Amino acid sequence: MHDDMDEMIRKATQVEVPPDVEDRLRRRLTEFRTSVEQRPQNHRPALRVMAMAAALLVVVAVGLVLIPKQSSASKVYAAAAAQLRSSQSLEYTIVLNATPYVAVEISFLAPGFRRINCSWGIEVRNDGTTGKQIALFHATRNYVVEGGKQVESSDDFLEQLRSLPQAADEVLGEQRAGDKTLIGYRLHQAPPNTGIQGLTAFDIWVDAATREAHHVDITIQEEGKPTHQMHIQNIRSGAQIDRSMFDLTPPAGYTAIVPPASSPAPAQNKWDLRAEIVQTGALAAVVMPMSGSYLQTPAALQQVEAYLKARGVTPVGPPLGRYWSEQHWETGYPVPPGIQAEAPFQVVSLPAGLAASVVLNNPWGKNSDSNWRWGAFLKSVIEQGYQPAGPATEIWSGEDARESTQSTEMRMPVTRAN
Amino acid sequence: MNDRQWEYERLITPIEDRMMRAVWRISRDPDDADDAFQEALLTVWKRWDRVRRHPNPHALVLHICINAAHDVLRRKVRQGKWLEAGALPEDIPDSSSSTLQDISGAEQSAHVLRAIGLLSKNQARAILMHVVEDIPYGDIAAAMDCRESTVRKHVARARARLRTLLAQQEEPSHA
Repeated sequence: MHDDMDEMIRKATQVEVPPDVEDRLRRRLTEFRTSVEQRPQNHRPALRVMAMAAALLVVVAVGLVLIPKQSSASKVYAAAAAQLRSSQSLEYTIVLNATPYVAVEISFLAPGFRRINCSWGIEVRNDGTTGKQIALFHATRNYVVEGGKQVESSDDFLEQLRSLPQAADEVLGEQRAGDKTLIGYRLHQAPPNTGIQGLTAFDIWVDAATREAHHVDITIQEEGKPTHQMHIQNIRSGAQIDRSMFDLTPPAGYTAIVPPASSPAPAQNKWDLRAEIVQTGALAAVVMPMSGSYLQTPAALQQVEAYLKARGVTPVGPPLGRYWSEQHWETGYPVPPGIQAEAPFQVVSLPAGLAASVVLNNPWGKNSDSNWRWGAFLKSVIEQGYQPAGPATEIWSGEDARESTQSTEMRMPVTRAN
Repeated sequence: MNDRQWEYERLITPIEDRMMRAVWRISRDPDDADDAFQEALLTVWKRWDRVRRHPNPHALVLHICINAAHDVLRRKVRQGKWLEAGALPEDIPDSSSSTLQDISGAEQSAHVLRAIGLLSKNQARAILMHVVEDIPYGDIAAAMDCRESTVRKHVARARARLRTLLAQQEEPSHA
């Protein structure tokens, strides 16, 4: 009799795991294995148990005595915050500026894989379990591999959603987003460790049905600066993430940048680089339109220089380069007004107007950090309430033979953001 | 290989396939299986020190997997989503001579799993470990942290309850 029932149970359960499901579960195992292997050794189990017991008692006591009964609205927020805190994977996009579109995509996968992908062509993949990371500069197809470092900005961004407090300060009400009903919650202070200065509001909108975070509106008002709004959107928590996006192997066709071992990175490499907003005058220049690797710059400049020399034209300023993309950039010399040029050379006008500018007193050749610099530059522009209105421009001053005299001005036409 | 790597090799690697099968056999839905498996791995992670000191760690880990999968099954059955969801995603051929048998087999599997979802936690876990995973009573007792005689009682009561439940499920179709 037992055998019949047991046989029926066996028949009902003897199925093989489909390959696609097995793939998913194996990925979980891989993540789990990494977690186990990174797990610290527990040398003092007794103390740990006591500490856990004590902590549990405190939690129970607080729960019983101090925390008022939650409303259903606050439970929706609490569920969303808890899910974000504990989620094994998290992806979202921070839109720093809507027009022009300036955004950073963030991906996190437990136990410590992070990826930030910036709309200005920089991608950083970080393996927190080993402390290694790779920075990819897609515009120039370069990469830098580093070890033992954390990506400050990535941590900051990630912490915005993973360190939400357990309760919101204010319920904003409901809004519709397509067929979804969203409930809004406001935090009056930035979540810890986010590095947000001048936060006025951190409004998180949660899907009432699924209790998942839908989007976040961040309002920043620093003293003496216009109000700035950022948005966190496309939030996906707990979704399956392709592990290959955290791969630290350089893509095919990318070349390594090896920073000089002897000289420390200049301070301007950091995200704290600050552009000044200045008024610039109009300028004419003879340039060579270019496409492809920026490493062609010196050769192109030599051609422009030879062309001008042959025409008897003396440049009125140091050489410059203007960059729209790797497929579209130009380099040349400023010239007096009225000069004409023949193909392949062109005369271009750099109009007068408002521009963001910063001068870096470094040798020209040390451009391995150019994408980082431009990322920091752009961030600084946006933080000051301005937005890009033209191409990134570099102006190289100094003498060829004397590195100590060399400097690079980073300049970009800007307009006030609304 | 460090200590943790060695522990993983000893405790988990030999039963990785069994862990996945144990979860899939009960949950039978890719998303549910994924959720249950994550839940199980999280539990194993939290109890890692206990797992590595356990007299039969493999039985304990499989017990944790079965618990997680049974929780999913139980929740679906209680919410009335088990049969509504189309139950088992097994391929049922359209044109073979055994179509009826296959349908009947799939339906029976759905009924059996639904009935298991209605068992008490201890009964379900004991019978699943004993019958499906073929784990000896003594090891089940160690994993469930109870006496072997208690496990035997859980299994016996599970069989009796399943018989009743399956008979109740069959009655309307014979009417």
